[in-house]
Amino acid sequence: MKKMKDFLSHLFIPKESNNHRAKVLHHTNLFLTIVFLLLASFFIQRIKVSFPSVLGIKADISSEELLFLTNKERQNVGVNSLIFNEKLSEAASKKAQDMFDYNYWAHNSPTGKTPWVFIKSSGYKYVYAGENLARGFTTPDDVIKAWMASPDHRANMLSSNYQDVGFAVKLGKLNGEETVIVVEEFGNLNMPMARSKVAEVATATDTNALPENVQAVHKQPLINTSSLSSNIYYLFIIVLITALMLDMIIVEKKKVMRFVGHNIDHILYLLLVLILISIWGKGVII
Amino acid sequence: MLKRISEHSIYYASLIAILSLSFLLAYSSSDRSFQIGVIIVTTFFYVLWGIMHHLINHDLHMKIVVEYILIGVFGLTIIFFLLSVSGNY
Repeated sequence: MKKMKDFLSHLFIPKESNNHRAKVLHHTNLFLTIVFLLLASFFIQRIKVSFPSVLGIKADISSEELLFLTNKERQNVGVNSLIFNEKLSEAASKKAQDMFDYNYWAHNSPTGKTPWVFIKSSGYKYVYAGENLARGFTTPDDVIKAWMASPDHRANMLSSNYQDVGFAVKLGKLNGEETVIVVEEFGNLNMPMARSKVAEVATATDTNALPENVQAVHKQPLINTSSLSSNIYYLFIIVLITALMLDMIIVEKKKVMRFVGHNIDHILYLLLVLILISIWGKGVII
Repeated sequence: MLKRISEHSIYYASLIAILSLSFLLAYSSSDRSFQIGVIIVTTFFYVLWGIMHHLINHDLHMKIVVEYILIGVFGLTIIFFLLSVSGNY
């Protein structure tokens, strides 16, 4: 027990045995940590490819939940609820498949195909149309939250110009990485007319009815890659921030003179990294 | 500690401003290439800012330069591999 205590204090507490700098903050240890992270990421990638049922992405998203959540957001701001449209869903499905087939992640394909090509080819003759894309998310809540946090996507979600909506939720590979793509296509066959907010909300129950052609991805590997890698990275950053804070406080008390960088700088930078990975780790939208 | 922060208030305020600006730029855009560009530039500034500050204070040492670079590489490694492993790049 004492040995363990001494070892931990050697790692985290600046004292004579570690030359008055927490051992985890020594250059050699920082370098070894970086090498460990690189190797861990490499092995996670290899296992993910070789044993997808053991280590892979977890996803539980259905178009039914996306429709419900989209309409819930629209009801919150008093906009008409959207009606699930099979043709728009077919367009969304074609768009998602096209991204997997031609390995791209954009509204326009490398060959110049716009979202409107897919919508028109499905037989939906729109007056207004829009598209939201998301990938890498594991729950419908996260998808909707990400779209609502982005001004352009939010504008699409809450636009009163749309009457219909279609979804595609597809699992496939982009750049060799397994991922879930969500496509939301909005449309209106007519010129939008001014309607009272009360009337819009009243139609909400009908339009939340379950679509017949529900698209969904439910994938549950033994270990979820996203959460595994996030947890590893969170752990490393938090350990490093803790070590930097302890080092800063103790050395300040002891008034030890050293040639080291400013711990506050490192803490601020690592906090930024921590915030960004907590946001970016969830998924990406365009 | 507080005394040192107040003595170097301009330096810390500028560092916080750079990091906050970086966060706002990265958060407001949904373009992953732009976001990655922002964090690379921010890391570069963080290293440069740290080195410049030590240079001005006449306490710059090669060990300090290496320390800033290692922390910067650590941050970038974590971001790149999280995005790569999760497929969210």
